[in-house]
Amino acid sequence: MPKALYIDPEVTLRPQEHELKLPTIPVMKYNKTIKAELKDGRFTKEDLLRIYRDMSYIREFETMLNLVKTTGGYNGVPYNNPGPAHLSAGQEAASVGMAYALDTDDFIFGSHRSHGEILAKGLRSIQILPEKELKKVMEEFWDGATLNVAKKAYKGKDTKELGIRFLLYGAMAEIFARTTGFNKGLGGSMHTFFTPFGIYPNNAIVGGSGSIAVGAALYKKVNRKKGIVVANLGDGAMARGPVLEGMTFASMDQFNTLWEGDMKGGLPVLFNVMDNQYAMGGQTKGETMGYTFPARLGAGFKADAMAAERVDGYNPLAVIDAFYRKKAYLLEKKGPALLDVVTYRYSGHSPSDQSSYRTKEEIEAWEKEDCIVAFGKKLIKAGVADQAALDAIRAEVNANIFECYKLAIDEELSPRMDLVKQDELLGEMMFSNQSIDSLSDAKPDVLMPLEDNPRVKQIKGKERFWLDKDGKPVSSMKSYNFRDGVFEAIVDRFYKDASLIAYGEENREWGGAFAVYRGLTEALPYHRLFNSPIAEAAIIGTAIGYAMCGGRVIPEIMYCDFLGCCGDEIFNQLPKWQAMSGNILKMPVVVRVSVGSKYGAQHSQDWTSLCTHIPGLKVCFPVTPYDAKGLMNAALQGTDPVIFFESQRLYGIGEKFHEGGVPEGYYEIPIGEPDIKRAGKDITILTIGATLYRALEAADTLKEKYGMEAEVIDARSLVPFNYDKVIESVKKTGRIIIAGDACARGSYLNDLAANISEMAFDYLDAAPVVLGSRNWITPCHELEEAFFPQPSWFLDAINEKIVPLKDYVPTSNQTVAQMRLHARKGI
Amino acid sequence: MPKQGQSVESCIVTEFKKKVGDKVAVGDILFSYETDKASFDEESKVEGTVLACFFNDNDEIPCLTNVMVIGEPGESFAEFAPDAGAAARETAPSEVSSQAGISRPAGAGLRDSEVVEPERPQGVWGRPSPQFEGGVERSETVAGGIVPQAAPAGISPRAKHLAAEKGVDPNQIAGSGPGGRVIERDVIAAAASPRSGLAKAMMAQGGLQAPASGTGLAGMVKGGDLKTWKPSHTDIAGEGSEFTVEKMSNMRKLIAKSMYNSLQNSAQLTHMLGADARKIQALRKKAKKAFEEGKIDANVTINDFVCYAVIRALQKFPKVNSHCLGDAMRLFNTVNLGCAVDTERGLMVPCVKHAEDLNITGLSKALKQVADDCRKGSINPDLLSAEAASFTVSNLGGFGVEWFTPVINLPQSAILGVGTIVARPKDLGGGVYAFVPYLGLSLTYDHRALDGGEATRFLKQVATEIENLDIQF
Repeated sequence: MPKALYIDPEVTLRPQEHELKLPTIPVMKYNKTIKAELKDGRFTKEDLLRIYRDMSYIREFETMLNLVKTTGGYNGVPYNNPGPAHLSAGQEAASVGMAYALDTDDFIFGSHRSHGEILAKGLRSIQILPEKELKKVMEEFWDGATLNVAKKAYKGKDTKELGIRFLLYGAMAEIFARTTGFNKGLGGSMHTFFTPFGIYPNNAIVGGSGSIAVGAALYKKVNRKKGIVVANLGDGAMARGPVLEGMTFASMDQFNTLWEGDMKGGLPVLFNVMDNQYAMGGQTKGETMGYTFPARLGAGFKADAMAAERVDGYNPLAVIDAFYRKKAYLLEKKGPALLDVVTYRYSGHSPSDQSSYRTKEEIEAWEKEDCIVAFGKKLIKAGVADQAALDAIRAEVNANIFECYKLAIDEELSPRMDLVKQDELLGEMMFSNQSIDSLSDAKPDVLMPLEDNPRVKQIKGKERFWLDKDGKPVSSMKSYNFRDGVFEAIVDRFYKDASLIAYGEENREWGGAFAVYRGLTEALPYHRLFNSPIAEAAIIGTAIGYAMCGGRVIPEIMYCDFLGCCGDEIFNQLPKWQAMSGNILKMPVVVRVSVGSKYGAQHSQDWTSLCTHIPGLKVCFPVTPYDAKGLMNAALQGTDPVIFFESQRLYGIGEKFHEGGVPEGYYEIPIGEPDIKRAGKDITILTIGATLYRALEAADTLKEKYGMEAEVIDARSLVPFNYDKVIESVKKTGRIIIAGDACARGSYLNDLAANISEMAFDYLDAAPVVLGSRNWITPCHELEEAFFPQPSWFLDAINEKIVPLKDYVPTSNQTVAQMRLHARKGI
Repeated sequence: MPKQGQSVESCIVTEFKKKVGDKVAVGDILFSYETDKASFDEESKVEGTVLACFFNDNDEIPCLTNVMVIGEPGESFAEFAPDAGAAARETAPSEVSSQAGISRPAGAGLRDSEVVEPERPQGVWGRPSPQFEGGVERSETVAGGIVPQAAPAGISPRAKHLAAEKGVDPNQIAGSGPGGRVIERDVIAAAASPRSGLAKAMMAQGGLQAPASGTGLAGMVKGGDLKTWKPSHTDIAGEGSEFTVEKMSNMRKLIAKSMYNSLQNSAQLTHMLGADARKIQALRKKAKKAFEEGKIDANVTINDFVCYAVIRALQKFPKVNSHCLGDAMRLFNTVNLGCAVDTERGLMVPCVKHAEDLNITGLSKALKQVADDCRKGSINPDLLSAEAASFTVSNLGGFGVEWFTPVINLPQSAILGVGTIVARPKDLGGGVYAFVPYLGLSLTYDHRALDGGEATRFLKQVATEIENLDIQF
């Protein structure tokens, strides 16, 4: 809600134009002959033959995989490949045309059906990279492990020819899950990529690249990097939320209306739809979609319809022509753009798909139009080559694929990871665990010296401990609070790391829905802090793309309850790319998630447990200003995805624990270390989140009325989690309650309880007791006391399950019988 | 019906003091009852009228069963009858259960017809027993018969450990935890129960354990109540002018534990027999000379020769070269020879694996090596495990001990004690008697594993081997 943009009732209510005019979208307009192209000088004969060669490489590669899958071998050499193979035979012209116009600095992202795109982009990069650079890339990759095997397929001295073997072998080894593959075999067919050639991750989730690629474009723009980004998507992906949200994000007006200086202008991203007519067995045109052509979507997102065009993907030259024009358009900062490339998939969705949804005649009719055969005929007609020359190309291509195939299935040359002997190997790849001040060499773009910032000045006047010198509580206005702790850590990093950006639904003038960012608007230009559309999938998806290109980013999810809106991004993308890439990619994304209360069933849920369940995410939930600042500093110093939960109950709370208050300078609290907030000897209470404060109230009552001293431990982090302090405490007290605001069933509280039972069984005087919220909807604020764990519940649970308290009258039913009754009813 | 102690299953009502229709005040005696050891009076904890009495004088009543119902006249009471659960299951829908579940914890919710809740033994803080146990079981029974009877009250792992440490028999403790579970505080209280002077003195000797409460006044533990259990900790406080208290080192505690366990958990006895030592004394001289001349690289001792002979004997008596596992024997087809070593820190018994593969110098060196390692503290802990050795030799000959009763290193089946060499008269035949050097051999064996005949034959074989050793240097 920038004040600079005035919403004028005059023009809003009484517009001049009474029609919304949509631009026309060109369809299949390219009609140049090869002779004409040669005459115009866009291609040499060698270029055209290389296009033919590259298409042939893709066809044979996919043919090889298809034969392995369907006949158990290739050219008489048997191999069993149990993994997936979504083949793109038929789509070669679309892939090669796409790659031809791109430089190595231009990035492509793909789908589950992207072998052709990888090979096309790889072959093109090998062609245009200077030999020295190509050599260096290959020699340095996995310390030469991939190159050393690839060399066995080529005895000559030509670096580019060696590069082709390197590409074919690296991709095959990856598909066959070998450590010499591009991603150590951890990505596989649907996630093979090679960043030195500008090939960024393909995605096994349909449409997954739709928002990630936009984030990569955002990275290029904000960090002033060369090149454009291409999101290769299928026609089926046009139905997917992340694609539509990604298009929305990429088309934001603010790039032109609010971003300033060299940052003004659209994102350099091209949505490239490989329209192969099918989405699984569904037929997009005529059955599952209503858009006639995917190109129509452009009109929904941007006034110029994203300069959308539908082009002939069966003619590589038509695709190249379109790509040259779209690339120029993007470099003029007019993006995003949309291309709809007509093509056809010969194979089924996968080799197990018998294509029962289409006729033999249909496939045969398309085979008659085959893009490689047709292009070959045109080359002959134009006098570029004769049939014998083309046959020679095909023969050489086939021989090279066969050589690389034999190497890639060789168990000795291309071993798989031995996760039995080295059973921690994959575990150690889940996180990168690096500590890096700044991910950019640039000077951070800021609007004022930090000390002049009004928020920084305001904080200077605050008491950094909740009590003043005389031990009296400081008024809330004067007390340094939780949001100040988060702010200090973030603003510090904004002034240290030029790559850091933050965005979410309201992050700027308002200061964030909970005022954490107040003061950042004054400090930062738009391109480092901006409001995103209400599109959680795009917020997280773009952050993933931004981070995998090398930037640091803080996306914000305003309410924990909205995590479901970006479920795939949080659960399938963010946690997985570090390990799936074989640790090539880092993922420095700190997702701020605010946990609500008072707002009922869809705005007051603690979903921390969902995040702890997914391997690859770090999860923390600080509840004091000191912990918030220290953990945020640690999260921002690291290179791993961190889900950073904050409680809306606590934004205004002062520091009640850390002696001397919250330090002004920089400090980190390692993620994973729980903290003893109060020492005691009779019972341990371990809390997650804001429940800490209710546990402390319970501890007060326990001491006053029952003479029991509770040791209260704040988990602070959930993943990783160091049990040492907790186990030590349990050894001392013999009793433990684990409490948090998550619904008890299936929560991380139970995970902690089960593990503590195993780790400290002999020391326990009672089974660990879990105190979570009821397994209900969160009721309205006035009824919340019946839902969230209350101080009295702690005493009830202690009395009932741990140690009966003298003359105690319970207020809630915490009995085992009640648990069983509830479980039986599913509540 | 109260449960007077963990092991009490039922009590006999000697006399009902109130009958149906009587008004009762708090503190009135409702009935007298007894266990096989003591008698008690049950006082009313509520005011009201006796609405029902489910038993007669001299009935034996299972503990934790409802005996009477007190309430206001006119209130229903049938549902509290001991067999009411089954009836309620048939008639009451599940709503009853949730109602019971909800009203139960409020305590006062049952006021309109209060059940005489059993009173449990006083806990540390003199608190009454868990109020709701009866309620829980009732609600569960009604709800669908998940738990038809009171679940057995257990002991927490922590309390179990503490009981072992304090020398308290957990079976004698009435639990004060949820559902009657014995928890840590119960053990602490039990360990602190009053003890008679004799009991204290006996406890100070160690090896005895006091029950939670004794047979004396107010549960005083008397000497006769003590029972042998595990080594108990005596009171280490109160160091005075006459003595100092020194805590045992971990090593000492380990030795104490294993020695004690050995004697407690096996049937040990010792046979003693002398072996003519002339041969090995001669061999020892030859070996010494050979060593001094550099012909061999080990200074072979008498003990080494004895061990060498023992290994040969063990190969002929596989049952001796064994572990006794209570209901099975572990018979070794190799000799892993344990050798008792006296170190500054205490007794250690390292082992030489596959000792039968070694020649005399090899054996000598191996024994010296493990002994040195023990003294330096660099011994591989795996070699110290009692499980590692199949048989042990302990030599006290160097100290002049003639005979002794070594303690078996369980689970091994036997141990050989080697004494000093003493000259004894021997009949050399033809009326000639001479003093001949004899080596004292003491074989302690586990009678569970071996009978006397076999043990004797083995011991004799050791002697024979010693007397006939034939080694060239």
